Amino acid sequence: MRETRLWFLSLTCTSLIIVLLGLHFAIMHYAPVFTGQTIEEARSFQVMLERGRDVAQFVVYILFLAAALYHGLYSLRGIIIELPVARGRARLVGRGLLLIGLVFFAYGTYVTWWTFATK
Amino acid sequence: MSANVKQAAAPKPRPNQLGLKGWVYAGRYSIERYLYILHRLSGLGLIAYLLLHIVETGQRLAGEAAWTGLMAMFEAPLFKVLEYVVFAGFIFHGLNGIRLHFTELGFFLGKPAQPIYPYRSSVKRHRPFTFVLMGLAALLLILGASSFFFS
Repeated sequence: MRETRLWFLSLTCTSLIIVLLGLHFAIMHYAPVFTGQTIEEARSFQVMLERGRDVAQFVVYILFLAAALYHGLYSLRGIIIELPVARGRARLVGRGLLLIGLVFFAYGTYVTWWTFATK
Repeated sequence: MSANVKQAAAPKPRPNQLGLKGWVYAGRYSIERYLYILHRLSGLGLIAYLLLHIVETGQRLAGEAAWTGLMAMFEAPLFKVLEYVVFAGFIFHGLNGIRLHFTELGFFLGKPAQPIYPYRSSVKRHRPFTFVLMGLAALLLILGASSFFFS
């Protein structure tokens, strides 16, 4: 049951990622079409800070970060424990990847918060 | 019941004997199997990119000069190509992921039927949807290439 729940969460994350990644692409890579900015403007420090101060952007990026890290690392766990080399070490692999995920999530959240709170 | 009757032993899970080699070839693989391999490879690439991208976006903490320098570096042709590879990975992985979602939820697989020759498996019933999504991926990759390299 636990594995089913983890799998279902990963499936839910993929739906979220498709929507949020679409938004990310629209804002960053198709800025001339969707926001009227050039790519260089969209990537400039000041515009990036301005964007990051928006509450909606803050929420979107935290959700995106969590969903992408969970789906990516959960899938990586699946690939690793399927290999013969990892037989009997599934728990260790799972915990190691969980730790990596938490470290990157904490760092990404800190960077997003820093951008949000910078005046 | 006699105490001497042995209980049937639960079958042991069969180890994955083919390992990595099995990803690429283990017989007559179908299109879906090659999409599976590409899905895995693109997924591995994307998770590596995601971790690097988190570190890269953290460079803003070092200030405007560091950020501007980093963005200027990404304007180099090599990074343009790498960025396009990442974009291609996202497009393929996303659209193939949508296909897998639909399969998981039982869409486009058809209703169960008697196995009467010529056999028509659920995979074959699903295949037009696969072609539509891969066609869409090809279209987006072409449009993306025009946006990345020629705009």
